[in-house]
Amino acid sequence: MPGPSTTERLRVRDPNDIVTARRAARELCAQLGFGNADQTRLATAVSELTRNVIQYAGEGRCQIEDVSDAHSLGVRVTVEDQGPGIPDIERALRDGYSTSGGLGAGLPGTRRLVDHFEISSRPGLTQVIITLTRRR
Amino acid sequence: MRIPILRLGRILLVSIQVDLTDTDAMQFQSDLVARVAEIEALGVAIDITALDVVDSYMARVINDTASMSRLLGAEVVICGVQPFVALTLVEMGRELLGADCAFNLDQGLEMLRERIAQRGDAELGEDDDAWPINN
Amino acid sequence: MNDSTLPRTLLEEDSETLIADWLERLRARWHQQGAPGDDPVILSVHLNSLHAALCDALNEPRTTPFALDPESRLARELGELVHHQTRQGASAEEVTDLVSALKPLLMKRMEPMLHADPAAALPLWLWLDEVFERLLGFTFAAFIETRERIITQQSLSLLELSTPVLRLWHQVLLLPLVGVVDTARARHFTERLLESVARYEALVTIIDVTGVPVLDTSVARHLMKTIDAARLLGTRIVMTGISPEGAQTLTKLGISFSEVTARASLRAGIAEALSLIGRRIAPLEQARP
Repeated sequence: MPGPSTTERLRVRDPNDIVTARRAARELCAQLGFGNADQTRLATAVSELTRNVIQYAGEGRCQIEDVSDAHSLGVRVTVEDQGPGIPDIERALRDGYSTSGGLGAGLPGTRRLVDHFEISSRPGLTQVIITLTRRR
Repeated sequence: MRIPILRLGRILLVSIQVDLTDTDAMQFQSDLVARVAEIEALGVAIDITALDVVDSYMARVINDTASMSRLLGAEVVICGVQPFVALTLVEMGRELLGADCAFNLDQGLEMLRERIAQRGDAELGEDDDAWPINN
Repeated sequence: MNDSTLPRTLLEEDSETLIADWLERLRARWHQQGAPGDDPVILSVHLNSLHAALCDALNEPRTTPFALDPESRLARELGELVHHQTRQGASAEEVTDLVSALKPLLMKRMEPMLHADPAAALPLWLWLDEVFERLLGFTFAAFIETRERIITQQSLSLLELSTPVLRLWHQVLLLPLVGVVDTARARHFTERLLESVARYEALVTIIDVTGVPVLDTSVARHLMKTIDAARLLGTRIVMTGISPEGAQTLTKLGISFSEVTARASLRAGIAEALSLIGRRIAPLEQARP
């Protein structure tokens, strides 16, 4: 049975926080009873998103919460920053598009790893919400 | 945090045992590349058994390190990619890890040795700039 | 005094003293600048003919503004002298001294005239001033032109010198690249390499980049073209001498030279090339009875 719902709030300010955030995500996943593959998926997705924060906004927040209910296991991660925003979300979600010299797999890759992916961005607030759900 | 680079003859062996921050990863890359050039390594084995998250950045660092080492004349294998890491990388899309992979370090080294044996410079020692002709 | 002719006292009278003074001033200035003294005899011959040309030119009906016809004797004499001095390694300052050393001498010769009849002498003074400005300008332009010609010649000879295609072994070529790889040089060595690959039916070509100071995008792009073209002819490419910094730059630029076998040193590259054609360097005792 699910325990009391847990929420982790983390600040993302320097590259070390990327490691902290993805570990926290993996731990919560494991605690809730997600399998190893899902733990890795979520940890990787959190790693991508928090790295974007560091790279483009400098700092931001990452919130990892348990959204399980009676029928399913669920974990939701919200990553947001007050940076300049993504000028063209459509393009940023396309494979191979990168403004940072990366592989350009960050956002589109992340979207494929999770069940639910939501992004909104304007100058001053960029927010990405990802959710992983599994039937009990 | 520096990753130790072990040397077996002219093969270099690196085992990444901890979760690397981005800075550590870059340090690892330049350390390894410098060492490859220094000993004119014939082979490099990078063991990532202990890595349970490889995101696109880390994948890029590993790929780049492999390409750099190849440009410096070394064969490269990546060993011990965890099954779930492999799955995640494939799901993320495209060939995030382009280098040759081996199941574990043992097989990785075997692979390196085989490839090195096929090379023309495998028999060149480190200090025999000329073959001895004094007998 | 006729307005349109030059007073003889200015240039022609006692011309030997004038030229001797000119030479003397010139040598004194050059000596001061630490310039290697040119042979005074040759220089005096040059100054003599320059003087003669100057007399001719200034005795022509005076035009305002003074125009120096590039076909005129004066222009040719001056151009030749500048050319000669520049080839000897003279600096811009030393070359312009050729003209500017004469000016004060003429001005001095005009002094009595200025005292005697300032109204007549002043226009002449101003005109002479203009003449010298023109001559200085011409001298400087000639200097630059000569220097440019020297640079072009040097880079041409560098092009020839620095990109030999060496036959290392039967069907093995070596292209040692030294120095900056720019478009002109890249085109040049690519052509030479392709010719040689075709002529010797080379199976392997070693490109050694130890002597290339910076491997950046443009160098890499040139190399890629060379490599692609050579591979189309059927030769395999072994690249040697990439530095760790070079490897990092290339990779960050997304260039992996994946069609190329890279080796750490020229030595390893040669061993690799030989093994690709089924040869090996072995100790003598194995071959001799």
